[in-house]
Amino acid sequence: MSDNKTSVIARAREIIDSYQGDQIRIMEVCGTHTHEIFRLGIRGILPENVKLISGPGCPVCVTPVDFIDQAVCLAMEHNATICTFGDLVRVPGSFGIPASGGQADGKAAKIGSLAAARAAGARIQVVYAPQDAVAYAKEHPDEQVVFLSVGFETTTPSSCLAVQQAKNEGLTNFSILTANKTMPAAYAAMKDSTDAFLYPGHVHAITGTGICEQLAREGTSGVVAGFTAKELMTALAVIVKKTGEGKPYFENCYPRVVRAEGSPAAQRLVEEMMEPCDARWRGIGVLPGSGVKLRPEYADYDARIKFDLPSMEGRENPACRCGEVLQGRCLPSDCKVFGKGCTPEHPIGACMVSGEGACSAFYLYGGDR
Amino acid sequence: MCVGLSARVVRLQSNGTAIVDASGARREISAQLLDNLMPGDYVMVHAGAAIAKITEEDEEEGEAVLGSLF
Ligand code: SF4
Repeated sequence: MSDNKTSVIARAREIIDSYQGDQIRIMEVCGTHTHEIFRLGIRGILPENVKLISGPGCPVCVTPVDFIDQAVCLAMEHNATICTFGDLVRVPGSFGIPASGGQADGKAAKIGSLAAARAAGARIQVVYAPQDAVAYAKEHPDEQVVFLSVGFETTTPSSCLAVQQAKNEGLTNFSILTANKTMPAAYAAMKDSTDAFLYPGHVHAITGTGICEQLAREGTSGVVAGFTAKELMTALAVIVKKTGEGKPYFENCYPRVVRAEGSPAAQRLVEEMMEPCDARWRGIGVLPGSGVKLRPEYADYDARIKFDLPSMEGRENPACRCGEVLQGRCLPSDCKVFGKGCTPEHPIGACMVSGEGACSAFYLYGGDR
Repeated sequence: MCVGLSARVVRLQSNGTAIVDASGARREISAQLLDNLMPGDYVMVHAGAAIAKITEEDEEEGEAVLGSLF
């Protein structure tokens, strides 16, 4: 960080360091924020009365066990090719055997993750974007290709574009397994665990800032933040200054990317192709209306319908405290197996898998301070 | 998986995609989530799609945001 007294970071630090009030708990609800805050060492330079908590914003971390079980079932029982973002490959599925509900006697019952499925011969392809999965399906007409569609408002439009493209090109061997989630339900579930949210910049680049303004009117404060050191420090300084003034507030601290109206084109696309549904958040449970799935008109592209997948009872490893970590109720280091049985090489819970997970960031960057 | 990448639009193509330059690397991305994209625009790219235009540097942004506090 720069020593230049006039720099944005220096001014932000001055504001933060001179804060004398009661403790402020700030929750980041974005995996990339969690990761960047640890990587930049920001927790270590905050005064004792300014605390950061990692909330449920990493899509890999909140993806429930039964979703992994269903993906493994598609790969093993239905011989589907799974196209997925890389992080999901190592996320543990159900704990204990047999675990995959209606498929307890099948091959999938003995498989704990997509990595294990791959080792057992399943086709698991890592892709960087949903459109890459469509391209793969086009090149492999003999395979049934399923894209694992996880993520928040930022990623959902890309999944819709992929389905639209597959439909336009007449592909019959492409579908998506959805676990897409929407942020407002998480804000509502977490609002009592925090004094201010650090809202995820790229979610609000899509949705706009109406929901944040609404929450401020209802008494929940927060700021939209970007991802560079300057943006994160600016956002924290704004939180400290505004909290000190004692009234609920909302500020957009990422105006170079986030506009009040968001991306109307993306909103229209998702609205047209997806509808709200209840969604399970790993470690937290079902939050009503917190997910989206394809509308009935797109049923041919919905892997659950296409393959008539049974619903599965996921079983989490009882040692894992991800649920409490994601709600800011305990630190990763409070978990008995943190750094011992559970490491990024051998994750027991989802929070240890992705670099965006709180346990993984805690492990890689050496804890809270 | 949520990391955004900033890139400059080099060329718009007729099928709703664009070629962008991200620190020297050229990639094809979807341009369908943004209205009125032009060559030369800077955009934030996420999961293969441009999700927002970028209008200034983070230093100017920080100055403006902090300046409005006082
Ligand atoms: S350390 Fe591992 S087992 Fe413990 S809460 Fe984190 S991810 Fe779960």
